[in-house]
Amino acid sequence: MLTVDAVDVFIQASHILRSVSLGVGPREVVCLVGRNGAGKTTTLRTIMGYLRPRAGGVEFRGHPIHGRRTHEIARLGVGWAPEDCGIFGDLTVAENIEIATRTRPGGRPATERIELAFRVFPMLRRYAGRKGPELSGGERKMLSIARALALDPELLVLDEPFEGLAPAIIPAVSEGLAAITELGRSILIAESNIHHVPEYTHRLYVIERGAIVFAGAQEDAWRDPGLARIIGSAT
Amino acid sequence: MSGRLVLALALGATVLAPLVAPTYHVLLMLPFMAYAVALLGLNLLFGYTGLVSFGHALFLGVGAYTGAFLTSVFKVRSMEVILVAAAALGALVAAPVGALCVRYVKIYFGMLTLAFGMVFYTFVLKFYRLTGGDEGMPFLRPTLLGRSIEGLPKTDYLAGPYYYYSLAVLVLATLVMWRIVHSPFGLCLKTIRDNPTKAETLGIGVARYRWCAFVISAVYAAVGGALLGPPTGNVDPTLAYWTQSGNIVFMTLLGGFASFFGPVLGAFVFIYLQDWVMSVVPFWRLIFGAILAAIVIAAPGGLAGLWVRRPSVEASSS
Repeated sequence: MLTVDAVDVFIQASHILRSVSLGVGPREVVCLVGRNGAGKTTTLRTIMGYLRPRAGGVEFRGHPIHGRRTHEIARLGVGWAPEDCGIFGDLTVAENIEIATRTRPGGRPATERIELAFRVFPMLRRYAGRKGPELSGGERKMLSIARALALDPELLVLDEPFEGLAPAIIPAVSEGLAAITELGRSILIAESNIHHVPEYTHRLYVIERGAIVFAGAQEDAWRDPGLARIIGSAT
Repeated sequence: MSGRLVLALALGATVLAPLVAPTYHVLLMLPFMAYAVALLGLNLLFGYTGLVSFGHALFLGVGAYTGAFLTSVFKVRSMEVILVAAAALGALVAAPVGALCVRYVKIYFGMLTLAFGMVFYTFVLKFYRLTGGDEGMPFLRPTLLGRSIEGLPKTDYLAGPYYYYSLAVLVLATLVMWRIVHSPFGLCLKTIRDNPTKAETLGIGVARYRWCAFVISAVYAAVGGALLGPPTGNVDPTLAYWTQSGNIVFMTLLGGFASFFGPVLGAFVFIYLQDWVMSVVPFWRLIFGAILAAIVIAAPGGLAGLWVRRPSVEASSS
């Protein structure tokens, strides 16, 4: 589904990503874990076309996407929920979700996609008429993911979906993600808190100082004392 | 008072104005309606897309000169043909200009549009044989809906048939623009205004949408420019000068760019206030400027912003 192959990314003169490679298969849930500043968001922003790799490449469904514009990548079927949610404050919850069905037509009907987004996050249905500034942080996170889901993507890219959420709201977001995995979508999650990594994660990548230092099962990462120190301190 | 009621009252008053109001005030409504059409378009770019153009007088000029050329050179007197030609030419000019301008945002976009506006102004000013230079070109009385109204005195023509014709164009332009801003396209423009970077992640091609908004706004400005011609009977380069661009941006701010009807209200207040100040004081620009500045400072959301409720503020305070 998604292959990031030996990607090197520079921001101005700073070498941020160093030969980063990772993969997300069909129906897989993959987590990229690392401390703040390790390169998680830069990796996701490179996948989404905001940054261009100086070396290496990114492929989606077998086609290179690293030279493409962000909106083209989204239309290919990559949904993105950024860390800051990116909710459009002047639009209602319903409009925020609806707009994604208009910008990537085809596939499932718009009504079905909207209904699916509300089914995954039922709390949003009650606030359908509210605008972005009237939502709490958790509701914004849910809306951000619901909007990405309404794009009808094959792959969802979520940047720190649990960041800054009240403990009471985390189960609601987690249940929503579980429901999405049951729909058969692939998900790539960047997370700095190892305790937020869902138990249904198929594969874990640990990134440290711009380089992937581990790829494998979650439980294997804990067995490595060096890695356990990195991902443990990421909490 | 509900918005629909206010709108119905305003429309009713506008329809009845030629029957009850002094002719002078009725004639002042003509530039108001022409500017209102142009401002509906400008606000698609300004209020809904977040791009401030300081060169839209270019398209007012394109529309007005199209009408002048058609009536005085090509002897085409049909107002419908003039409006369609103005719209088409506005779009034709806006397509390449917009393609260059929408690559930039904020002050760079504004300055680039200003530069193109001044290029057009210089063109119509200097190409004397073609455009009449600073003397301008006559905009002969057009026929309305195929009916020639040559026998009617000019004032009666303008305060009667032409008044209602302009009103019909304004109503039609308003309905079309209402449909545009409430369509998925309008929603996409709002997302671009709010956060263009995030809008891209929804598959929105930001540059293409901005370009479309630019061309539509130019079409509206050109139609507004064509409507401005018959009342004066002459089109000259001042219509394309940068102060015109400044005026229409100011009208939008005055009425409130966050509201659909705000710019229309701004045009009305601007034109009548300007006329009133001119009639009472000799150094009217000084007073007029001070009054406008005071209004904008007292009502940063424009005049419409004083009336429109702000649900987010109310919700957060409750």
